[in-house]
Amino acid sequence: MGRWWLQHGVSLILTGVVLGGAWGIRATQGAWLAEAFYWLHLPWSQQPDPSLLAAATQELQVQVQELQRQNQELRKLLNVPSPLGSQAVVATVIARQADHWWQQFTLNRGQKDNIMPGDVVAAPGGLVGRVEMVTPNTSRVILISDPSSRVGVVVSRTREMGILRGQGSQEAILEFFSKDPQVQVGDAVLTSGLSSFYPAGMMVGIVRAVNLNTSPAPQAIVELSAPLGMVEWSLVYRYDQGRT
Amino acid sequence: MAALSQRILTGLGTALSALLCVLAPWLRWPGMELLGVSPDWPLMWVVCWSLRRTPWQGTVAGLGMGMLQDGLSAPEPTHMMSLAVVGFLTARLQKQRYMQEDFISIALIIFGMVVIAETLRALQWSLMTLFLSTWDLDLISFSGDALPSLSTIWATHQRVTLSSAILSSLWGPALHLPLRTWWDRERAGDGVE
Repeated sequence: MGRWWLQHGVSLILTGVVLGGAWGIRATQGAWLAEAFYWLHLPWSQQPDPSLLAAATQELQVQVQELQRQNQELRKLLNVPSPLGSQAVVATVIARQADHWWQQFTLNRGQKDNIMPGDVVAAPGGLVGRVEMVTPNTSRVILISDPSSRVGVVVSRTREMGILRGQGSQEAILEFFSKDPQVQVGDAVLTSGLSSFYPAGMMVGIVRAVNLNTSPAPQAIVELSAPLGMVEWSLVYRYDQGRT
Repeated sequence: MAALSQRILTGLGTALSALLCVLAPWLRWPGMELLGVSPDWPLMWVVCWSLRRTPWQGTVAGLGMGMLQDGLSAPEPTHMMSLAVVGFLTARLQKQRYMQEDFISIALIIFGMVVIAETLRALQWSLMTLFLSTWDLDLISFSGDALPSLSTIWATHQRVTLSSAILSSLWGPALHLPLRTWWDRERAGDGVE
């Protein structure tokens, strides 16, 4: 018996291990193999096909155009003028701020493209700021995150109004007018048109925290919806402050 | 006395380096930013210039660079004051008499000057907030909508000073070396300092 073990023991054990492992894979339906394959394939994983993204973008653009058309019809029926022209100038950011205290950036379009001081600037995500100075080929934009910026805003859901002031970062402080504002975390904040610098209805940010105990009025922390540090291009809209 | 053409060439190079330093914060190369804060290139240039100059020359350089930086960002509150103080103090250090000129001392001087300059700027903002009303903003050429609150000013000061001091003192020697080489060319022609 001992001689048989010495001769066949190793192969017997190996057979056991192999069959046991294979049975385990079969029993778990190859779960471990699937996971291992996932991690192995990562270096070769493909980006989503750009043509699919283009198709999705085109669909969204058509939907937006349709909604805008309906919005224009409704405004005509109700006799409410639209605050923003549909023409916008696309510009890329060529320079950030020159010192540490101002939140600004410089765009590569200027007077030659009919941009004027006071024009409103938006980027993917929402309102970004307004043009403060133009040269023939550039314009300098002061951002709403600047500590000196004040934007009249309204909470979309409850129409609660307040003033948004910048903190020099992606979060701004919303100071309400009433002592008991109707606002929740997650509410969207839009421009109200109350401050004459910005037209109404532009997306500004999302409420991230509410503090009802601050004086003189309750405050909320709003995360600005346009990622200001990553803005590469933006749209400049003509805005005449005299209009409502 | 170095030849006039030599002096003009050196002057042009100096002016070009100053202009590049004022424009540099507009560019954001990878590795040049810490928490969204870039090195304070105009201040670094003023320090490099003032190390071996008289206090008067340092102050004038600070005023000039301050005006240039005002032009690229906003005129009020002005950068002239903080940079003039930096130029004056750096020149008063009389570096060549008391210290060896090496990377560490340049970095330390820039670190200290950044702290001084940013604190002065925070004080400028605070004075504006405390003593100006909304109507005065139209009289001075203020670029924003309203004045920031004191808490925002000093929170910004905290965030900006440390990052700017670290980055500026790290990049300072890199700016100092070519500038000193350029200015030494003229001094070699001059003979005696």
